[in-house]
Amino acid sequence: MNSEKRDYSVFDAELSGQVLSLKLLRRLMKWMKPYRLTLIISAVLVLVSSSLQVLMPVVLSLVVIDHIIMGVTDHLVPDMGTIAAANSLAETLSLSPLFAACLLYAVIHVLWTLTGHLHRMTLTASVINGLRDLRLDLFSHLESRPSSFYDRVAVGRVMTRVTNDIEALFELLRGVGTLVGEFVPFFVALVVLFAVNVKLTLLLLLVIPVMGLVTALFRRITQKLFREVRMSLSALNQNLQENLAGLQVVQISERQAYNLARYTTINKQNRNLEKETATVETMYGAFTDSVSGIALAMIIYYGGGAVVQDEISLGGLVLFTRFIDMLFHPIVVLGEQTNILFRAMASGERIFQALDWDEKVREPEIPVELPPRLSGKLEFKNLNFSYLPGQAVLRNISFTIHPGEKLAIVGPTGSGKSTLIRLLGRFYDFEDGQIFLDGVDLNKIHSRDLRKRVGVVLQDFHIFSGSIYDNIALGDPNISRAMAVEAAITVNADQFIRQLPKGYDTQLSERGQNLSQGQRQLLAFARVLSANPEILILDEATANIDTETEILIQDALDKLTKNRTSILIAHRLQTIQEADRILVLDNGEVEELGSHTELIQNEGVYFRLHSLQFQAIEEDVEQN
Amino acid sequence: MLKSLFRLRVFVSPYRWRLLLGIFAFLLARLFEASVPIFMMQGIDKIGAGDFDVLYPVLGIIGGVLGRFTVVSFARITVRRVSLNMAFDLRQTFYDRLQHQGSRFFNRYSIGDMMTRAVADISLLQRLISLGTILLVILVFATLVGFAFMLSLSPALTLLILPPLPLVFIYAWYASKQMGITSALVQNRLSDIGTHVQENLSGIRTIQAMVQEENEIARFSITNQQYADAFYDQARINSMMMAWMPVFSAVSIIIVLGYGGTMVQNGSLSIGAFAAFFMYINMVVQPFRVAGFMINLFQRAAIASNRLFEVFDLEPEIVDNPSGLTPQNIIGNIEFRNLDFHYPDTETKVLNAVNLDIKQGESITIMGRVGSGKTTLLKQIVRLLDAPSGQVFVDGYDVLDYPLAQLRSQIAFVPQDTFLFDGSLRDNLSYDDADRSIEPIWRAAEAADLKDTIEAFPEQMQTMVGERGVTLSGGQKQRATLARGLIRNAAVLILDDCFSSVDTETEEHILSELKRLRKSQTTILVSHRVSTARHSDRIVVLIDGHISEAGSHESLIKQKGYYAELEQIQREGQREEPGDETALSPGSGTAT
Repeated sequence: MNSEKRDYSVFDAELSGQVLSLKLLRRLMKWMKPYRLTLIISAVLVLVSSSLQVLMPVVLSLVVIDHIIMGVTDHLVPDMGTIAAANSLAETLSLSPLFAACLLYAVIHVLWTLTGHLHRMTLTASVINGLRDLRLDLFSHLESRPSSFYDRVAVGRVMTRVTNDIEALFELLRGVGTLVGEFVPFFVALVVLFAVNVKLTLLLLLVIPVMGLVTALFRRITQKLFREVRMSLSALNQNLQENLAGLQVVQISERQAYNLARYTTINKQNRNLEKETATVETMYGAFTDSVSGIALAMIIYYGGGAVVQDEISLGGLVLFTRFIDMLFHPIVVLGEQTNILFRAMASGERIFQALDWDEKVREPEIPVELPPRLSGKLEFKNLNFSYLPGQAVLRNISFTIHPGEKLAIVGPTGSGKSTLIRLLGRFYDFEDGQIFLDGVDLNKIHSRDLRKRVGVVLQDFHIFSGSIYDNIALGDPNISRAMAVEAAITVNADQFIRQLPKGYDTQLSERGQNLSQGQRQLLAFARVLSANPEILILDEATANIDTETEILIQDALDKLTKNRTSILIAHRLQTIQEADRILVLDNGEVEELGSHTELIQNEGVYFRLHSLQFQAIEEDVEQN
Repeated sequence: MLKSLFRLRVFVSPYRWRLLLGIFAFLLARLFEASVPIFMMQGIDKIGAGDFDVLYPVLGIIGGVLGRFTVVSFARITVRRVSLNMAFDLRQTFYDRLQHQGSRFFNRYSIGDMMTRAVADISLLQRLISLGTILLVILVFATLVGFAFMLSLSPALTLLILPPLPLVFIYAWYASKQMGITSALVQNRLSDIGTHVQENLSGIRTIQAMVQEENEIARFSITNQQYADAFYDQARINSMMMAWMPVFSAVSIIIVLGYGGTMVQNGSLSIGAFAAFFMYINMVVQPFRVAGFMINLFQRAAIASNRLFEVFDLEPEIVDNPSGLTPQNIIGNIEFRNLDFHYPDTETKVLNAVNLDIKQGESITIMGRVGSGKTTLLKQIVRLLDAPSGQVFVDGYDVLDYPLAQLRSQIAFVPQDTFLFDGSLRDNLSYDDADRSIEPIWRAAEAADLKDTIEAFPEQMQTMVGERGVTLSGGQKQRATLARGLIRNAAVLILDDCFSSVDTETEEHILSELKRLRKSQTTILVSHRVSTARHSDRIVVLIDGHISEAGSHESLIKQKGYYAELEQIQREGQREEPGDETALSPGSGTAT
C-alpha cells in the first residue's frame, strides 16, 4: 500500500504567478551563483557604458554649442570634464577646438559601443549557463521519478516545464537585461539634467506618471485581448488540423460545407479580435511617439523664459532635447516587459514545483548484492496491493515460479495482471506481503540491480527516434552492433530489418508508422534479448496481427523463453497453451493455477474463458 | 521574387483603395513629423537671438505632433485591417482547397507541413502587408521628406551625410540575414529539446526498465548544450548589430558636428538649424536600419506566397461530374470489371485485372495480407480513389457518373484507422448529419456494442471525446467508428478491417447483429480472421492485387489454397517453421 498521499492535480492547475516573488528569484539565483563573477563584470560594464552614452549629448551641447560656438566660459553646469578633455586634445594634437570635440565624440562613441557589447555578452553568457544547468537538473530529476508519478500526471504537462517554462526564464532574463540597459542610462541622465536645471527636469518628470498610467492601462486592455487572440488562433489551427487529420471521414460523411461554415465563424471571430488589438496597439504607439514631441514643446516654451533669466544656457536647452528619449523610452520598455515578467514568475513556480516533487521508489539502505548468476526462482507470499486506499488491486497473492518455468497469466481486464508485473519490476513500492527472488526479499534489492536482471517487454513498444540499431541497443554501450544483429536474427526480426531501405541504420520516427504492429513486437523482443536478462516478463500486445507475422512472433517467443524464467501476460490462445503453467487472476485473487489440461479438466474460470473466447474455432473443428 | 509576390494581387485587390488611402496617410504623417524640427529650429533661433516670445513655434510643435498622432493612427489601423482581411481570405481559400484533396495529396505532403503553411506562411504574408508596406512607405517617404527639408536648410551639409547611408543599408541587410539564420537554428535546437524530452518522458517506463537513465541524461546534456551554444551565437549577432548600427549614424553626426559647427561659427548656418539637423539624421537613418529587415521580410514572404499558391493551385483530386442519368437510389450491386489500378508516380499495379460481381444483399469478406490491395479496392466504390472510367460499376452505372454526395451518403465506408473528432460522442457518431435525432444514434451504438460503454459515462452521449476528451480504449474507438458507419443504414456497408482491436467475442456479437439487420443490403468487409469470414456468403482472397480465390467457406476449404491454410493455422494454432513460410503464400514477398 502506498502510504504517502499526494495531490497530483497540482500539475494540471493553472499557476497565476501574478506577484513578484523574491523567494523565487532568490532560489533562481542559486543556479546563477557559479557565474557570479561574470555577472559582476557585466554590472560594472553597464554602468560604464551608460555613462558614456550620456556623455555624447553633453559633448554636443555643452562643449560644441556653449563652449565653442557661443563662447560661454562660465558654466553653471557640470560638463563632466568634457571641456577639459576637448581642450587638452586640441592642444596635444594641435587641432582646432571644433575638430578636437569631434574626435572626443568619436572616441566616446567607440568606447560606448565596445563596453555595451561586452556588457550584453557577459550577461548573456552567465544567464545561458545558469539556465542550462537548471534545465539539466530538472531533466535528471524527472528522469528518475517513478512510474507511479507518470501514471497520474500527463506527460505534456511535465514536458512543458523543461521546454516552455525554462524558455520563459530565458525571456525573463533577457528582459531584465534590456531593462538594465534602459534604466541605468535613465538615472545617469537624470543626475546630469538635475545638475543643469532642476525646474525643467522636474517639469519633464511630470510626464512620466502620465506615461506610466497610460502604459499600465494599455497593458491591462491588451493582456485580456492578447489572451483572447491566442485562444481564437489556437482554436482556428486546431480546427484545420483536425479537419486534415480526419479528412477521409469528412469526405465520406459529406461534411465539407458544414465544416467550412464552422471554420469561417472561427476565422471571422479571430479577425475581429485581431482588428480590435490592432486599434489599441496603434493608438498606444502613436501616443508614446507623441509624448516626446509634447515634451519638446514644453522644453522650448519653458526654456525661452529660463534662458532670459540666465538660468540655463542654450547648450543646456539643446541637451534637454537630446535626453527626451532616454527619459521616456524605459517606461515603454517596462510596459512591454511586465507581461513577460509575470509569465516567468508562473514558469518559475512550475519549475520549482517539479523540482520539489520528491516521489521515488524506496530503495533499501544496504542493498543486497545479487549473485552473478541467478537460478530464477520467484516466490510471492501473501502479497496485497492497492493504488488508492480501500481499493485493493491484489489480494493475498501467493505462488511460486520454478527456475526456468514459463508461466502464463490470464484474467479479464482489471484483474491485476499488469499490477503484478509492475511490482515485480519494483516500479511501485509494496509493503503488505513479500516477493522473493532466489530467496532474496525484493525490497532489499536496489531497483537498478533488479531491473538489470529482469527484462520487461511492455505491451506498447516505445520507439525512440534514431536508427533500428539504436532502438535495439537503447544507448547501452555494452551492446555492440554484432550483438544487436544476433539478437534480431534470433527473434526473426533480421529479415524485415534487412528489407528496410537502410537496414539497421534506418531511422525510425517516434510514432514509428513505418513499422507494423507485428514488426514492433519483434523489435521489442530483440531489444530485451540483447540485454539478456535472467528473468523475462512480457505483456503481450493485443492487436490483431496477420497470421504470417504471428508465426514469426510465436517462434521468437519460444526462443526467448527457453531456459529462462518467464512470466507472460497472454492474450493469444497459443501463448497460453504453450506455457508450463497458467495462473488465472480474477479481481486481484489467484483463482486457479495449473497446466492447460489440468485447468480444462477442472471446468473452472479458465475453462469458461477458454470456451467463450475460442468457441468459433472450436465449432469449426467439430464441423469438419 | 517579385513574380511570386505579384500573384498575391488577387487577394489584395478587394482592399486596394483602402490600402492606397493608408499609404497616402503615411505620406501626410511624414510631413507633420518633419515640421516639428522646423518649429524647434525657429524656437531655438529666436532664443539664441534674444527673442523669447516662443509661443508660435511651441504651438507649431504641438500642432505637428497632434497632427501626426491622428494621421499615423489612422494610417496604421487602415493598413493593418487590410492585412487582417487578406489573411482571413487566404485562410478561407486554404481550408477550402484542402477539403477536396485525397490520398495523392497526403502521400506528398504531411499534415505538419500544411499546418506550418497555414500558421507561419499566412502570418508572414499578413506581416508583409501590415509591416512591409509601412516600412517601405516610411523608407521612401521619410528619406524623401527628410532630405527635402534638410536640403532647404543647407544643401552642402545634406550632401555630406549621404555617403554613410549605403553602408548602413548593406550592413543592415547582411545582419538581418545572419539573424534569420541564427534564429532558425535556435528554433531547431529548441524543438530538438522538446522532442528529446517528450520522447524520454513518454518512454520513461522502457528507459527505467532497461536502466538507461544515466545514458539518457548524458545524451540530453548534449542536446541542452547545443541549444545554449545556438542561443549564445544568436545573442552575439544581435549584440553586434546593436553595437555597429549606431556607429554608422555616428559618422553622420560627427560630420554635422564638425562641418555644421564650422558653418555656425562663420554664420552660414543658424544654431537652430544645426540642432534640427540632428533630428533629421534620425529620421533618415532609422529607415535604412530597418531596410535590411524589410528586404528579408519581402524575400521570406515571396517564399511563403509560393508555398501557399502551391496549395491554391491544387485541383480537386476527385472530380464531381455527375452524368445526371444515374438512379436516385442505390440498391447495392457492385461490379469491378477488369479493374487495374496504380498510384500516380508509380508503375506497380496495386490492383491487377480484378473481376468481381457483388449482388444486392450479399455479404462478402475480403482477405489477404497487408499490402495486397484490399483497401485500395474498397476505396474505389466510394471514390476515395479514382480508377479510369469503365471499371467500377454501381447498380450497372459507372461509379464516376454518380453525384459524389449521393455515392458517399448511400454507401457507408468505415475506414481502418479510427478517428474521433474533438466533440461529443453524439456529434461523432452522427457525424454525417449534425441534426439527427437521438434515437437512431442510440440504435447504432447498440448495434456496434457500444451502448453499455456509453451508458457508463456520466454524460452519456454528450461525453466529450477526441484529443481533449475522455480517453477511449482502442476497441471502444473502433466501435464508435463502426457506429458512425452503421447509423446511415446504407444500401452498401463497407467495413475495412474494423475489428482488429475488438475481441473475438464482441466481434461475433456485432456480426450476428449485422446479419440480422442487413438481410437485404450489401455488406463488404475486410478481415484477417477465418472466424469472421466464414459467416459471409462469399470470401475473396486478394494476393498482390489479384483475386486468387473466391467462393464460400466450404468451397475454399476444399480448394486447399491460401484460405484453407489460414484456417488450419488459426484452428490448430499449429506453428510452421519460419523457413516453410513461403509455402503459405503462392505469391512472393514477405509479411509486412
